[in-house]
Amino acid sequence: MARPLIQSSPMPGLGLSFGITLAMLSVIVLAPIGALVAQGATLGPEGLWAAIDRPRVWAALWLSFRLAALAAGCNLVLGTALAWVLARYDFPGRRLVDAAVDLPFALPTAVAGIALTALYAPNGVLGGLAREIGWKIAYTEWGIFLALLFVGLPFVARSVQPVIHEIDREVEEASATLGATRLTTLTRVIWPMLMPAALTGFALALARAVGEYGSVIFIAGNIPMRTEIAPLLIVIELEEFDYDGAAAIGLAMLTISFALLFAINLLQIWSRLRIGHV
Amino acid sequence: MHIDIDEIAKTFGTTTALHPVTLAIPSGALVALLGPSGSGKTTLLRILGGLEFPTSGRVLFDAEDTTGLRVQERRAGFVFQSYALFRHMTVFDNIAYGLRARPRATRPPKAEIARRVTHLLELIQLPEIGARFPSQLSGGQRQRVALARALAIEPRMLLLDEPFGALDAKVRRELRQGLRDIHDETGLTTVFVTHDQDEAMELADLVVVMSMGRIEQVGRPQDIRTRPATAFVRDFLSA
Amino acid sequence: MSDTALNIRPHAATTEAPLARALLIALAIGTLGLFVLAPLAVVFAEALSKGLGAALRSLAAPEARSAIRLTLLTAGIAVPLNAAFGIAAAWAITKFDFRGKALLITLIDLPFSVSPVVAGLCLVLLFGANSTLGGWLVAQGMPVIFALPGIVLATLFVTFPFVARELIPVMIEQGRTEEEAALTLGAGGWRTFLSVTLPNIRWALLYGVLLANARAMGEFGAVAVVSGKIRGQTATMPITIEMLYNEYLSVAAFSLAALLSALALVTLILKTLLERAHSGALAAGHRS
Repeated sequence: MARPLIQSSPMPGLGLSFGITLAMLSVIVLAPIGALVAQGATLGPEGLWAAIDRPRVWAALWLSFRLAALAAGCNLVLGTALAWVLARYDFPGRRLVDAAVDLPFALPTAVAGIALTALYAPNGVLGGLAREIGWKIAYTEWGIFLALLFVGLPFVARSVQPVIHEIDREVEEASATLGATRLTTLTRVIWPMLMPAALTGFALALARAVGEYGSVIFIAGNIPMRTEIAPLLIVIELEEFDYDGAAAIGLAMLTISFALLFAINLLQIWSRLRIGHV
Repeated sequence: MHIDIDEIAKTFGTTTALHPVTLAIPSGALVALLGPSGSGKTTLLRILGGLEFPTSGRVLFDAEDTTGLRVQERRAGFVFQSYALFRHMTVFDNIAYGLRARPRATRPPKAEIARRVTHLLELIQLPEIGARFPSQLSGGQRQRVALARALAIEPRMLLLDEPFGALDAKVRRELRQGLRDIHDETGLTTVFVTHDQDEAMELADLVVVMSMGRIEQVGRPQDIRTRPATAFVRDFLSA
Repeated sequence: MSDTALNIRPHAATTEAPLARALLIALAIGTLGLFVLAPLAVVFAEALSKGLGAALRSLAAPEARSAIRLTLLTAGIAVPLNAAFGIAAAWAITKFDFRGKALLITLIDLPFSVSPVVAGLCLVLLFGANSTLGGWLVAQGMPVIFALPGIVLATLFVTFPFVARELIPVMIEQGRTEEEAALTLGAGGWRTFLSVTLPNIRWALLYGVLLANARAMGEFGAVAVVSGKIRGQTATMPITIEMLYNEYLSVAAFSLAALLSALALVTLILKTLLERAHSGALAAGHRS
């Protein structure tokens, strides 16, 4: 017997809640994304390939995904350490640090962009210090990396922190009584428990970093082939009214992002299967 | 009010919660639906209360088909297993909720609502707790407040889902007697769900033993004890 | 350096050596100081570099004032719509059982994995003057792109999941029985929602609205694509910051930025207060 689409229920508001949900989802999210896919379909595979297969596009995509992966990877380590410190240690200013972790969520990206630039440009406070040792941060790949590190910082920490709170201390004590050193306990017992949540945070940070625009464009320098990120290239193509070119890059970004997220999802399922539900 | 359950069946997706079951509940009876978890007893109770709709079959209240009657219009006093008291309302507001929810034409005036709530608080022997919040009550008090709230709407029947499930043994015995007293006083047709055979046997006039979505036996407690109709009933009672 | 000097008392089996702890704490404070607090301090320092008077004068300039007005208007439209959507979606998902629930949740979360610039691009392709729909709308005198509706749609897109994501876990945890109890007591749908559901979800709703509002007022990428950046008309606060910054009007740019940073700080403070005072009423991830 076929399962009904919606199980009958005395709960009120079926039509209203589904009506609002589906109408807004369609108008705001699905129809616009559909328009992008439709634009890609009218171009056809060859047209899309021709729009993407240009050195400047490849350079931008490679730069965006490479630096996003690098920044998300660093955030995986930094965020986990941060979550551990905030969940387990008590020190003066802990609550302030805890609240500050969310600042990159709350601070508008354009504000973060000009602030990071002012700070790390050669005439800025920290940029000046770096220049002393011959290290140029702003207007190079380092600057982009820094901005992506900033916007992705909270994701891993906030995914992992609640899981650390839920860890049963007896598991750690058991490990210690069995003769494991603290490091062994951390790497063999704790980390596997944190990994699914850490991967969720990593995926979120990666998705955010790949598409990030506001905090990057001020600090990047935006030199074609060298420090020009893919989202900026879309903006440039749109300003030149090259909708086909913009749509092709947009579709490429969406496709690669979804493929990456899908892969991370599989990795998560695999690690959950290994350790069961945390 | 007598209740007729006529060939009621219920499926959730691919699982069958109730095979067609038929049961007549005489007016004013105190009935226990007894069975292990997954036997379909709670589903049957929720269908009577209008919280689930049967896949097929009919429910009749006093010979009137009420299968499609909306939950709000059933006037079934329903006591939930977790009591489902409104956390953000005082005990008084909880009990008054159903009266205040009535359309203006049939809503009692304020003073009348207050009088009735006070009366119900006396009936459950907790006259002093009207201003408290559910979180400030013991488990047994919460259960009695839930009962008073259900009675406030002047229900046509009383339906209770594992009414004593979350309580310790001593409170449970007291409240059993309390339910019996309220039933005898109001004369309401009362159906309660339980997995505890002692509770069913001690309290009910009529016990309905259920298993795997089917009714195994219906009878007076002593009849079921002395003459179990199926192997399941015999095993369940000796467990 | 050896850690024996610090390691006077043996530490418990479930914590790290004192030196490791100190290093980790230093790493945490250092990371946040360098990457998070220092940029914030720079914003205020740059805004006040010519004195408070100059900063306030730049905020009173017509361009800044119209940007502030537009940002408030955009958030004022987008955030309530978003809250309405979030409540409706959470109600549909948690109060009913239907096929495709996981798909619906995935689609609601979709905007989180789409670049804001791509979101803007999608809106331009659908509503731009070159498209069928957009051309028709322009002919009707209702342009979407390079106008307020486009800015609102872009803001709605990027803030889409915020409220729903806060409410869904809270409403799953609270279950359906209180609503069922209200129904058996004769309450209608709206009364049940207003008197039973809403009081139970109000803190989670506020939390979601707070985050959605911060994002709505600060959104840059998606709005940059659809706004057309017309001075005094379609330039929101973040867009105006970009324009002023590119014109080397540093004090004006950083003064607007300081205003948005203050909003971010207020958001964080309110959020922290909510987490402290009403942690039980929020989604599990936000309990401290």
